[in-house]
Amino acid sequence: MTASNEYAKVGEFKPMDLLAAAAAREVIDGDVVFAGTGLPMLAIALAQNEHAPNAACIYEAGSIDGRPIDLPTSVGDARCAYQAAKCGGLFETFYGQLHAGYVTLGFLGGAEIDKYGSLNTTYVGTHASPKQRFTGSGGNADILSFAQRTVLIMVQEKRRFSERLEYVTSPGWMVRNWPKNEYVPKKQVYGKYSYGGPTACITDMAIFRFDENGIMYLDTVHPGFSAEDVRNNVDFDLDISKCKGETRPPTYKQLEILYKVVDPEGIFLP
Amino acid sequence: MGTINQLSLQEAVALIQDGDCLAFSGFTIWRRPTAMCYEILRQGKKNLHLFEVQGGFHSEVLVGGGAVRLWEGSWMGQEILGKTGVNLSRKQVSGEVIVDDLSHGHAVARAMAGAVNVPFFPTALAMGTDILNPEYDGFAKAGLRDGKNPKIPKEKYVVYKDPFYDMGEMLLMPSIKPNWGLIYAPMVGNEGTVRVLAQSYNDQDIFKACDKVIVITEEIVPDEYLRRDPAANIATGYEVDYVVVCPWAAHPTGSQFYYDTDADFLRSFNASTKTQDGFDKFAEEWIYGVKDHWEYLEKLGVKRLETLRASQATGYSSRVKRGTR
Repeated sequence: MTASNEYAKVGEFKPMDLLAAAAAREVIDGDVVFAGTGLPMLAIALAQNEHAPNAACIYEAGSIDGRPIDLPTSVGDARCAYQAAKCGGLFETFYGQLHAGYVTLGFLGGAEIDKYGSLNTTYVGTHASPKQRFTGSGGNADILSFAQRTVLIMVQEKRRFSERLEYVTSPGWMVRNWPKNEYVPKKQVYGKYSYGGPTACITDMAIFRFDENGIMYLDTVHPGFSAEDVRNNVDFDLDISKCKGETRPPTYKQLEILYKVVDPEGIFLP
Repeated sequence: MGTINQLSLQEAVALIQDGDCLAFSGFTIWRRPTAMCYEILRQGKKNLHLFEVQGGFHSEVLVGGGAVRLWEGSWMGQEILGKTGVNLSRKQVSGEVIVDDLSHGHAVARAMAGAVNVPFFPTALAMGTDILNPEYDGFAKAGLRDGKNPKIPKEKYVVYKDPFYDMGEMLLMPSIKPNWGLIYAPMVGNEGTVRVLAQSYNDQDIFKACDKVIVITEEIVPDEYLRRDPAANIATGYEVDYVVVCPWAAHPTGSQFYYDTDADFLRSFNASTKTQDGFDKFAEEWIYGVKDHWEYLEKLGVKRLETLRASQATGYSSRVKRGTR
């Protein structure tokens, strides 16, 4: 790689490049990452090619620490399993890895998020009269419940950053202790299985983090957006007092890795 | 020496009764017994109960075609080729299909319990979510947890306190034992030994959890070949009840080292079947309008199939154009 570690200038990168770089920066060398299709795949591959060569990636369909030479487009893809340390099934990934406590970092998305980082990927409307069904949980609820840190990838829209979710698919820092139906801190429900929870949320406008009470606050805004822009696209009362300024753009080196090594076919980076 | 009980696709599917509970091999858009699902629609099966760790094209077809009354699982879609399962979405909203949601971890726990013949499996995954909200228990709300249907547990879950090591409260998820496991596997030995060539997904659990198993396969190979590497096999012949030979039986889902997923087919299916009218047109063209699976393959054509054919070096196709470059 010949490109430098200087930051690219506005106009020299696309929004998706910035998201991939921001998500990759959440990966720490040595992380065991549980990732899904799309942006998380770009992020983990970028991180492995840059600052986190010892990060291992688990895809829920069963591949563990694969070394894909072609970007997968599905977590069940043969490409995920290429050069994997081992290859099993979902019992291995969800119980042998996640429930066993090996997973340090998860990447997830959702249709709706609340200020405690709970997600809805199931439906909007009521149970008696659902308006639209999404995918359902898949591994979303499991990963958010057990990964030590989880990075949430969202589209920034007021209706998606909700005061109250229409369906809580995945547990943030405050949850209901079913079947008792009391709203309590996650730790109270998970007890000795309290490994962590959501730590960051990356959108097309900003990056958010969670304070000591598990409440989301604005951390940085992407170039071209203001804290006010972000607040106008959130339905709950958002703390913007800790905003550190602008999100760092991708570096020239990161762009080179993304386009020449990670996604040369233009699958997620057209 | 074991033997296999080989049936035609039509004979095998004819064994499935209206109202039966089915589970499938594979994962989202990989190794699904698609040819069997097409045949289920051709034979007009109704009121099926699907237990799915997660759904995909095969079950979207069954739901869209009106064969399904009960669906329980954790997820439905085509991954990035069409994120939401549009047919299940439409039929959940209309009330035609009764849906009960699980997490992946919950569904895996239930399949594992069924596989090893224990009535429940403990888990701490996905607690504190609306998956456990009694008001959202689709099967209970429909009055189906009355103990009359042996494939539906009387409770969706139970919270219990660990009596052994004080690990606190966790969930007991009930086992599931579907009537039929419909399994796609690329290779079956002449004594019934089953091989898959990549991630095993939940296939081994589905084999053991189901009362009866039909395996649909690309080819029957000498068992002696599969027994050279026993660790790579996922089932022994006595776990298999019936075998159907059917090339490209998983299309448009993929089968590692045989063929890639047909992304264009899946994308187009997802876009065109958002309405019932759209689904009916798809079904007329690809399911009811062809007389059998061979005619389906002829309709796909040599060029399409050869483009999808997997490399024997990597297990996936090098000919498919996947991105914009």
